[in-house]
Amino acid sequence: MSLHQTYFEMFGLQPAFHIDRAALAERYRKLQREFHPDKYAARSDREQLLAMQYAAQINEAHTTLRDPVLRAAYLLKLAGVEVSPEQTTSDAEFLMQQMMLRERLEEVRDESDPAAAIDELGEEVRGLFATEQRNFADVFAAGNLDAGKDSLLKLQFLSKLQRQVEELEEDLLGDY
Amino acid sequence: MALLQISEPGQSPEPHQRKRAVGIDLGTTNSLVATVRSGSAEAIADSDGEVILPSAVHYGESDITVGAAARNRAGKDPYNTLLSIKRLMGRGIADVRSFGEQLPYKFAADSGGMPAIETAAGPVNPVQVSAEILKVLAQRGAEALGGDLDGAVITVPAYFDDAQRQATKDAARLAGLKVLRLLNEPTAAAVAYGLDQQEEGLIAVYDLGGGTFDISILRLSRGVFEVLSTGGDTALGGDDFDRAIASWIAEQAGLGTDLDVSTQRALLDRACAAKEALAAEESVALEYGDWRDQLDRAGMAALLDPLIDKTLRACKRALRDADLSADEIGEVVLVGGSTRTLRVRERVEDYFGRVPHADIDPDQVVAIGAALQADVLVGNKSREDLLLLDVIPLSLGIETMGGLTEKLIPRNTTIPVAKAQEFTTFKDGQTAMAIHVVQGERELVKDCRSLARFELRGIPPMVAGAAHIRVTFQVDADGLLSVTAMEKSSGVSADITVKPSYGLEDADIARMLQESYAHAEEDVAARALREAQVEAERVLESLLVALRENGAELLQENELDGLERAMEALRLAHNGGDADEIHRRIEALNTLSEPFAARRMDASIRRAMQGHSLDEFDQ
Repeated sequence: MSLHQTYFEMFGLQPAFHIDRAALAERYRKLQREFHPDKYAARSDREQLLAMQYAAQINEAHTTLRDPVLRAAYLLKLAGVEVSPEQTTSDAEFLMQQMMLRERLEEVRDESDPAAAIDELGEEVRGLFATEQRNFADVFAAGNLDAGKDSLLKLQFLSKLQRQVEELEEDLLGDY
Repeated sequence: MALLQISEPGQSPEPHQRKRAVGIDLGTTNSLVATVRSGSAEAIADSDGEVILPSAVHYGESDITVGAAARNRAGKDPYNTLLSIKRLMGRGIADVRSFGEQLPYKFAADSGGMPAIETAAGPVNPVQVSAEILKVLAQRGAEALGGDLDGAVITVPAYFDDAQRQATKDAARLAGLKVLRLLNEPTAAAVAYGLDQQEEGLIAVYDLGGGTFDISILRLSRGVFEVLSTGGDTALGGDDFDRAIASWIAEQAGLGTDLDVSTQRALLDRACAAKEALAAEESVALEYGDWRDQLDRAGMAALLDPLIDKTLRACKRALRDADLSADEIGEVVLVGGSTRTLRVRERVEDYFGRVPHADIDPDQVVAIGAALQADVLVGNKSREDLLLLDVIPLSLGIETMGGLTEKLIPRNTTIPVAKAQEFTTFKDGQTAMAIHVVQGERELVKDCRSLARFELRGIPPMVAGAAHIRVTFQVDADGLLSVTAMEKSSGVSADITVKPSYGLEDADIARMLQESYAHAEEDVAARALREAQVEAERVLESLLVALRENGAELLQENELDGLERAMEALRLAHNGGDADEIHRRIEALNTLSEPFAARRMDASIRRAMQGHSLDEFDQ
């Protein structure tokens, strides 16, 4: 490897959306054992610096490949498609669905049984997120980059919503 | 002429020399140093057989005293006797004022925003005070190991932010120590018990010292130690146990509440003795004046329980922050002298539902873990069995419009880590820009800790928005931040001036080193030469090892010749007496060997991935 390799090459994985998570975790530890700055603690300053840059790169690669949204964005970037933070999907039906889910999230606390309401909402959001991931994998594998980009924008929406659901789940747990 | 002997792998040209490395627990109340000798880690005692060095420094007009002798002067000379200095590390003058009466010193603002304390020896800052403690411990280590130390691992609380870590590292530098790694205290304790050998687990480290309580929840997953949450009370410890028992005696003996200092002292001594005796006895006889009575374990438990309850509430909060319940914790580790108290052990065992690890002396366990890690890092022991991946304890962010923070590196990200962020100019011809880096979880800059202000200069003048400055924030394996910047279209790297919010700049450290030499009447030039020689030896040795491993495989003949010539030049400079010349030669050799170092890294990755990458890619 070098710092110029792709993250997939670094971990010896095929550049596809579905990855072998066990292999990723195992190779991550293998690489860290090789390049963690601790291995270079007694070496010269220059070597320590180099090791730190490699280890940082390995950590960044691992973080990117582990997270489905970051992984999808990275795959598109490798294919020459950049998505800027301001961009949003033009799928009106999807946006409408998002608005309704958000409204439900805001109303959870007013429900008679907030714990059950957040469970149900969480289940639904997780399901949508998983479905969209499968969709991304399919369109990307078929080489349809425009559809891939649209799918990534939806994944970003859903992952943010999922995070908010989890935060509220924690808050509600804390109340008891 | 063969300047370089390339030996077969495993056969070193010189007999293997054991490196001298220590682990140091730089504590609020007490500090100690440990090392690995004949295979096992042990704390190092001073010439009187004392292992614990009280973290106390007394500044006289002409001399500096450290340890028990200094602490004993606290009563008579409080302003010149500095205790609990760790609380001030990496803190600003405003923070210090908020500590209030806890610290009876005369403070003045320092140039770097750090507090300076007025003493008989002039103003001193917390970094200098800590350096005095470290010097004593380093000296002790060097004497025990028979020569100058090659390196040290120093422990810090898991919740220490960048400024506090940097201050600790600066103190070590001032004390002439090479820091191999700053290690989190709870991680060190877990390492001392060998818990890093497990595949996975959740670990609670319960650390009750003389004056502070810390609880840390760690997750271990295949070699990655992650600090999930920390909590505690900076004003709760074994000293409070003594006070609780002393008040009970005063009450029982009818002494009233308005006691003079010597009576208080006498009662506290009796209380402390009773507390320690009850670890072995069921009951202990107490007397004061005409009053006589017995205190048994149940009686003491009743006195201490309210205080122990406070620690368990902090445990509960820390567990909740980690999204865990007490029964999910697999291992509990006890740290700190106050965990010797039986009642503490009982309550902790009861709370977590399992017997805590307490076989290692709780005062020494952190230093011992640090010594084990130091031994690995310095190269005495194969590192295969110990790899600690740490995480950043608090998010790093930058100030954006309206005093808001934008998080760049979220907390609990595995370090080292680098994040690049692009900035652009907002005025035509703008050549400089300021970046304010903060640490914390809150959204407003004012609620986070200010770490440093970086000023970028030398941006090529362009129209507004045309310059794209890529700023890279890098956090190293010690959790310390550094920043580099480059303008993308021109490739010009911007100069960065760092103004740490509460810390020292390199020039400050150089000045303090000068001052400390003057104080110790040490020859500055001799010291500088020695340091340059040590670095030269390190560079040469490390390159020799590298060449032996795969020099023949990765280098062309002419490259090898060039390296050998540069190494010989460095050897000659090393034997000469000019520190500057040595540094020049190191620099030259480093530049020349950089491609080799990069190729070695690449080769290591290829090796690590053998059996995976190639066949899978050829499909």
